[in-house]
Amino acid sequence: MVQRGLSGFSRKMRRNPSYLLSLFGLLLVISLVLSITLGSVSIPLKDLCQVLFGQGNHAVDKTVILDIRLPRALAAVFGGAALAVSGLLLQIFFRNPIVDPYVLGVSSGATLVVALLMLTGFSLGMGSVSPFLVTLAALIGALAVVALVMAIAQRVKSAVTLLVIGLMIGYLCSAVVNILMTFAEKENLHNFILWTLGSFSGFDWGEVEILAPAGGVLLAAAYLLSKPLNALLLGEDYAQSMGVNIKKLRISTVLISSALTALVTAFAGPVAFIGLASPHLARLILGTSDNKILIPASILLGATVTALCDLLARISFSPIELPISAITSLLGAPIVISLLMKRRTSL
Amino acid sequence: MSVIQTQELAVGYGGRTVVGDINLEALKGQFICLLGPNGSGKSTIIRTLSGLLRPLGGCVYLKGEHLNAIEPRELAKTMAVVLTERLSPGLIKVFDLVAMGRYPYTDFFGRLTGKDREKTREALGLVDAGRLADRYFNELSDGEKQKVLMARALVQEPEVLILDEPTSHLDLKHRLEVMAILRRLTQEKGITVILSLHEVDMALKSCELVILVKDGKILASGAPEEILSDERVAELYDIDCANFSNCLGGIELRNGGGAGVFVLAGGGSGALVYRLLNKQGFSLSTGVISENDIDYHVGRALGATVISEKPFEEISKSALNRAVFAGAQAAYILDAGFPLGTQNRRNLDLVKQILAQGRTIYSLRHPREARFLFGEDQDQWVFCPTTGVLLSNLKREEGRRQSKKAATSAAAAMG
Repeated sequence: MVQRGLSGFSRKMRRNPSYLLSLFGLLLVISLVLSITLGSVSIPLKDLCQVLFGQGNHAVDKTVILDIRLPRALAAVFGGAALAVSGLLLQIFFRNPIVDPYVLGVSSGATLVVALLMLTGFSLGMGSVSPFLVTLAALIGALAVVALVMAIAQRVKSAVTLLVIGLMIGYLCSAVVNILMTFAEKENLHNFILWTLGSFSGFDWGEVEILAPAGGVLLAAAYLLSKPLNALLLGEDYAQSMGVNIKKLRISTVLISSALTALVTAFAGPVAFIGLASPHLARLILGTSDNKILIPASILLGATVTALCDLLARISFSPIELPISAITSLLGAPIVISLLMKRRTSL
Repeated sequence: MSVIQTQELAVGYGGRTVVGDINLEALKGQFICLLGPNGSGKSTIIRTLSGLLRPLGGCVYLKGEHLNAIEPRELAKTMAVVLTERLSPGLIKVFDLVAMGRYPYTDFFGRLTGKDREKTREALGLVDAGRLADRYFNELSDGEKQKVLMARALVQEPEVLILDEPTSHLDLKHRLEVMAILRRLTQEKGITVILSLHEVDMALKSCELVILVKDGKILASGAPEEILSDERVAELYDIDCANFSNCLGGIELRNGGGAGVFVLAGGGSGALVYRLLNKQGFSLSTGVISENDIDYHVGRALGATVISEKPFEEISKSALNRAVFAGAQAAYILDAGFPLGTQNRRNLDLVKQILAQGRTIYSLRHPREARFLFGEDQDQWVFCPTTGVLLSNLKREEGRRQSKKAATSAAAAMG
């Protein structure tokens, strides 16, 4: 009834979200397998299984799989999941469907510090800037903004004020970045711009070992908030009247979503669109705003979409890699638009 | 036993007191209404009583306990609210939205038990919205949404239900339905209902206790029948273009200033005609009417000059004379088709004296009946089968009169 023109089968599935969630899970596994097998060196499925289970003798494949593709794919999966949930939390918190994880200025802070590192003389004498330093810089910038936003969140009364302040922090950081870009050297500038478009390339196990557990803990924490977040769908007043501690919820929501974003931005740069669109995809496909379903669905969809987009970024113009933000937006926007057009009720 | 009590309560935002010195007591099962003009501070009181806003002074007691000291979850089991804020909760179905009211009862993950579902269905039934359960909330009409929000409040199993302007944005049917449901809740479930309204008639007709709020203070409180006098309502709303009538339970817009019409009425024949003429800007006088007549109250509320007689008394000579005088003053005479009986038989003399003055009478009566009552000679009568015809006759005549007046004054100026 809600989405006309859909088959009875999918309608039946919609009534039972656990079917859809397992379907999303299956899609995620498939995209993981695709991410690992496809590329400049194609790896047959059989070889993949043998490598994973320690059988056979595929020295080259083993290196490609275990040292390059698997950490990268896992990074994309965790990064996508983190951004999707971060976006979802902020969309609920601000009761605004066009909010994305970067709205509080987290990525702008990261970008600012990375710009300071890559575009100014700080790196002089080091030759090229090491990826580790860039990650560290991004993390420092992101966490600094998180700390700032948290301090402000405890003071301001309304969520909208916080939203506007977040936007302003973003503008301030961008302004400084723009000035730095004006005086930057051409080559540095090119590298910097590529960084701002995000990429999961070059992820190693060391990074995944930080990203995955930290991301996992934060995602679980987000799920634990699903009951009060559901109450928040009715607005802060109703939530409070039902016994929600608004202040505590506000702090934990902002903290979890900012930390998730900071984590991804530090390792992969600002990846556009996933955080904005995955919650919408989940909502529209499942036809619900219930966060007990939406949080897992956003995790699975965000992870799947990011893994697939990363794969496309890697292989479509191989050996040149496209920025992942370009792929996510190019593919994702039409999907969200078409789902929105089919639906009668507003988000 | 008092469920809610306030002591020297002062409410407002950020140090600015909106309403002060509020001392109220709400008993179990009472239907209490805060009445006042927009911006008088009703919503601020409502928000403070429901614990959404901290009092600036004094305190609120809920069943003897200090409201702000009650644990939020426990408070939610005793008190529920319906607010004016427009909701857009996203893709959420009515049943799930109502079930959210179980928040203080459900476990950490908010899982619904059989009892929670049972209560949800029961609440939907109470507001007569059971058939909406599977619809998306966003697809509902304003009236349906309001009922669903009431159901959401009810599943909290509250002893006190607080509503902020629950009838605004609603059409007449839903307005009445909402009030009927609330009244039923007070009577059958013993829930204390406190709500704010700005419609006097709705308050008068449904509430047990009204509290009039104006200019930062409580103007009066008590049973609406006692305290909603015509003057007090006018004071409450600063009305000078309309009159409130307690016994009619409504407001009539005053008009006047136009050409005078004297209406021969009584027995309810005048009420609609008064309103019609009043809307068209005629100024009204009417008579002779008994003071226990509906025409008397409507006429008064509309600001007409009503020449009246004491209840159940025959029309006195002096009343008759006053009516004849009023008729002579008016530009038009209108017969609303009043019934003629022993008590008002002097109205027959009134008609005869008016006819004797050579006046034309516009009548809504059937010509045959007029002939029977007032005689065969019908030259001076203009019979109008409907009020529409009556109005067009009056307007045509009025246009002629105006142009004649203009011509005379022009001639006088030239002369």
